[in-house]
Amino acid sequence: MRGYFDTLKVIVLIAFRNLFASWLKTLIVGGIILFGSMLVVVGTALVDSVDASMSRSIIGSVAGHIQVYNSKSVDELAVMGDFRMEGADLDQIDDFKVMRAALLSVPNVKAVVPMGLSGAMVPAGNTVDVVLEKLRDLVRRKQAGENMTVAIESQKDHVRQIISVLATDIANVGKILTDKAVAPEELAAIRRASAPDFWNEFDKDPLATLEFLENRIAPLASDADMLFLRYVGTDLTAFAQSFDRMKIVDGTTIPPGKRGFLFSKWIYEEQVKLKTAHRLDMIRDAILKRGKTIAKDPDLQRWIKQNSTEVKEIMLQLDGQQTADFRTKLQRELASQESDVSKLLSEFFRVDDGNVMRRYKFFYDELAPSLTLYRVRVGDTLTIKAFTKSGYVQSVNLRVYGTFAFEGLEDSHLAGELNLMDLVSFRELYGFSTPERDREIEALKVAAGLKEIDRGNAENEMFGAKPALADQPAVAAKAVTNADADAVLRGLAGKNKREKREDQAYDPAQLGQGVVLNAAVIVKDPSKIRQTMADIEAAGTKAGLTLKAIDWQKASGLVGQFVTMIRAVLYISVLIIFAVALVIINNALVMATLERIGEIGTLRAVGAQRRFLLGMLLVESLAVGALFGGIGSALGAGIVAILRMVGIPAFNDIFYFFFSGPRLHPGLSLSNVGIALAIVLVVSGASSIYPGFLAMRVSPRQAMQSDE
Amino acid sequence: MTLNNVEKLTHHPSTEWQTMKYIVSVKNVVKNYTLGHVVVPALRGVSLDVAAGEFLSIAGPSGSGKTTLLNLIGCVDTPTSGDVALDGKHTGSMSERELTRLRLNTIGFIFQSFNLVSVLSVFQNIELPLLLQRSAGSKERRTRVEALLDRVGIREYEGHRPSELSGGQRQRVAIARALVTRPQLVLADEPTANLDSVTGTNILDLMKELNHTEKTTFIFSTHDARVWSYASSVVRLADGQLVDRVSAEEAVRVGGVGDLQGARTT
Repeated sequence: MRGYFDTLKVIVLIAFRNLFASWLKTLIVGGIILFGSMLVVVGTALVDSVDASMSRSIIGSVAGHIQVYNSKSVDELAVMGDFRMEGADLDQIDDFKVMRAALLSVPNVKAVVPMGLSGAMVPAGNTVDVVLEKLRDLVRRKQAGENMTVAIESQKDHVRQIISVLATDIANVGKILTDKAVAPEELAAIRRASAPDFWNEFDKDPLATLEFLENRIAPLASDADMLFLRYVGTDLTAFAQSFDRMKIVDGTTIPPGKRGFLFSKWIYEEQVKLKTAHRLDMIRDAILKRGKTIAKDPDLQRWIKQNSTEVKEIMLQLDGQQTADFRTKLQRELASQESDVSKLLSEFFRVDDGNVMRRYKFFYDELAPSLTLYRVRVGDTLTIKAFTKSGYVQSVNLRVYGTFAFEGLEDSHLAGELNLMDLVSFRELYGFSTPERDREIEALKVAAGLKEIDRGNAENEMFGAKPALADQPAVAAKAVTNADADAVLRGLAGKNKREKREDQAYDPAQLGQGVVLNAAVIVKDPSKIRQTMADIEAAGTKAGLTLKAIDWQKASGLVGQFVTMIRAVLYISVLIIFAVALVIINNALVMATLERIGEIGTLRAVGAQRRFLLGMLLVESLAVGALFGGIGSALGAGIVAILRMVGIPAFNDIFYFFFSGPRLHPGLSLSNVGIALAIVLVVSGASSIYPGFLAMRVSPRQAMQSDE
Repeated sequence: MTLNNVEKLTHHPSTEWQTMKYIVSVKNVVKNYTLGHVVVPALRGVSLDVAAGEFLSIAGPSGSGKTTLLNLIGCVDTPTSGDVALDGKHTGSMSERELTRLRLNTIGFIFQSFNLVSVLSVFQNIELPLLLQRSAGSKERRTRVEALLDRVGIREYEGHRPSELSGGQRQRVAIARALVTRPQLVLADEPTANLDSVTGTNILDLMKELNHTEKTTFIFSTHDARVWSYASSVVRLADGQLVDRVSAEEAVRVGGVGDLQGARTT
């Protein structure tokens, strides 16, 4: 044993002396290894930390630990990052009651939240429509005898303002493109509305003129954006309990047993807020939270440009009085003599690093109170029209109760992409039956005189057993009269009104049963997710359900794959670096071997076995690997420690989600360093194989440098 | 000279040696090197017996096959045909590993260019074969190395690196390294070729002295006629064949082998 140790000592000695002898080569090779191991430590620590924080984001926002859905579904469930508008095509689970019981029978399952995911385009109102609606209301009240003259004049003023804004717009289109780019009927409509005697016409026949304005002028104002909303229909109470990062920002949650809609605060700001105001918010946040400057950041410059060119949105909202008011305020603020408010607004929004905070404050203090900042306000009713699973359009009116966000993920697009609605409304929009609808359909059947017949008897039922076709009624049904049908339909209309009055209540018991598409499962012990998934599927089979359980990472779709992707990129980079290192170390050792052929031959001649030489080269490369790999890992650990202290800021909202907050404080685990050292040693070892092979082939004859 | 004569000449001229044990026994050895498509014969059927304790010189001009013969005796090369036996062991059937072990335990090497490991100190160079043997403990190794350092007169340089020594000093280190395992046979390939004549003479004196005191068999190749006088006998090679085996005095008297080389070069 001692002999082995002494031999090893001489091997190490020779190896180290060789390393020192060619120190420059050693430094170059060592430098690569150092960088590689540092990258592995920092990279894996960062990826692990992002993985952990992202899992907190995903699990805590909507996915839960596990998502369960019908295994017969065509698509895979993707809670986030699914590009399909209507969401994945999932087969329904008929009775949540059975599913819930099955899931709760698994010991590690803590809570089950029923869900359904879908999306719809929602019209969010047109400023012109709103103004015209108001005018129509005033006209109606005047016709009813109220004194509305002043109010009507003011509102007329607003419409006049709108028409002038639209006329300018159309003229600009004509200028920029060609006159042909403007549809002749649009031009004719705007000319008519701008004509001096148009308002005389209005005074003569207000309703007909309003109709013209509504049909011809309102569509020209293209601010009637459709909102595309993705939503989760769920049991709001269970959802709030299971996802405890959820908090209400504006308004209230949907009261139990009530139908309703909750906007994600992020979507609410992004899509519903007046765009100019939202851009101002973003500019301010970028400066205050992320230290950007207008002078340097192209995004900020773009937003400023958009704000100063897209003032129409604000102009359309202003009536005559407000226009005058804005003019005075803006002239004072900007110290300008300009009388055109749209030009003043343009100038006002052209902010720079020096005045942006002052203008922001001025906007919210002086201008915003006169503006409708949100197209849909808390308390408004939203008409959601969605395609059902079978393809027809279904619409539901839902009251907007408020907005919500997930604590710590307020600025994250990914966490804020989904809105919430009650499960019952979701079922209706998705085309599933509810008890009320079943009753309604039954009533309609009665009203229409329909009778259910089975396929085998269809012919007999429809045409009779005998061929006397003419004698048989085309539809076999109980005799119904028009009067009956009218009664039923009147009943339905009455019921609809009643529903509205009751604020669309439903029986909360419906949440615990009926159709769902998927369910989020919160587990007690997150380290046992794999086992719990298997248990869930088994419990499903036992209950006669075809359940598929997927973990949060898979459920989150593309987003969840992000870490896997980053990890792949990291590993590929590491692979490339170490492949280069391997080649370089290999070459260096090959060179060293070739330079030392005489010495190797001598060692062989004086009795060194081949494995001695292999050992020598192995020790040589392992020593370099261990030394520089060790230094690199230590440096990497130091960098991670510093990053942990300082925190890595989330550059944008996507990173905000990945970091589960504004900063990532990465942690270091032993495995990060272990992996780095293992890779380094394997690469070092592997790179000595070929030189070792060469060295072993050196003949002891090489030592005999003679004249032959 | 007939082949029969050559055969006779391979055996020791003195009958005294015939009763002695042969440490080296080379029988009809042929060694060809292949360079591309050309087969170059280096040895063409050489037979040679060396008795224990001899101080044998292999003489001959460049290209005569001296080093090839030493390589074969030293087990660093294998013959194309024929047999080499060391201390009665036939090397032809041995594996590479066994040959290495045989070299380590039986043979000491002294090279023309000293061939010291440049990154090791004088002491470590001498100690190296003992470490490879793994038989002696560190104390014993130190004793043996120090004894040899004293013996070859370079004790004060034990911590030096080879590059810090003169040629003669380096060759002394090489001699010490060759002797440290107490081998039965020391092979020296042109040990004085890279040394000036005074230093060369000193080295040969040292080798001769060790031959006497340690009873180690020395075989050294040389093309320098001046050093033949040290040998107990001289084997003269020319053109891959053994010309004769003569006593040192006779070799010195007969002179060079240039005429033979001239006659046999193909």
